Amino acid sequence: MGAAIHREICVTNETENLHKVREFVSAAVQDSAVPREEQNKVILAVDEAVANVMEHAYEGTLGGSIRVRIESDERRFEVLIRDHGRRFDPGRIVDPDIEAHVRAGRKNGLGVFLMRQIMDKVDYDFRDEAENRLTLVKFLGADR
Amino acid sequence: MPDLNITCEPRGDGLTFLTAEGFLDAHTFEKMEKTINALFDEGKYKLVVGLEKLDYISSAGAGVFIGAIGVAQENNGNLVLLNPTPNVKEVFDLLGLTQIFPIVGSEAEATAFFG
Repeated sequence: MGAAIHREICVTNETENLHKVREFVSAAVQDSAVPREEQNKVILAVDEAVANVMEHAYEGTLGGSIRVRIESDERRFEVLIRDHGRRFDPGRIVDPDIEAHVRAGRKNGLGVFLMRQIMDKVDYDFRDEAENRLTLVKFLGADR
Repeated sequence: MPDLNITCEPRGDGLTFLTAEGFLDAHTFEKMEKTINALFDEGKYKLVVGLEKLDYISSAGAGVFIGAIGVAQENNGNLVLLNPTPNVKEVFDLLGLTQIFPIVGSEAEATAFFG
């Protein structure tokens, strides 16, 4: 447990592939130093990030690629999600007032909020005007 | 492939009990949404959703219930969550929804909720 992890999976943007991503993250998180009580939440945060890409990045076109890379050691669990779809910066999404959200019956817009609730860092970069790069980090051990 | 199975059982007291089993995520949420909307179309607004067999929920799944509870309440009904698994309850906690949705631990409690 807690050994260095370097793994990557590539899926296309059909939502039926979400379970593959969850299984990939689940296996990695179980081999990592992420505490048991945090593991399901980390899987959820990645699921939310990838689901956002699937739903929005390729604007309805299927077959778009999404790469998920996990790097982890005793100090952090880091997930890099890359796609070549439409630019989308989650940093521009404001956290919701959940009561107002429910009153308005808004079904969407909670994924980024969940990512921020769960992970210690949510960073976005649009590299070379072509690649969305979303990095999620959970700090572990003494760095928590 | 992990999927979502829904069963739907109307009761004589005007309540409808649904059970969700499996995974309620961005891939399967429309199945739950269609089921609930069909019940609304039939004038059934008092819903109890059993979550004791639901392994996983994401914000897309929770969004279905967020979209439905207001419609139910506007029609003298409600949407009650029954026995969520710890994983599912945790997601509702993270979203701040446990303060908003009625959550009960037994069918008797659900029936009593609607009085």
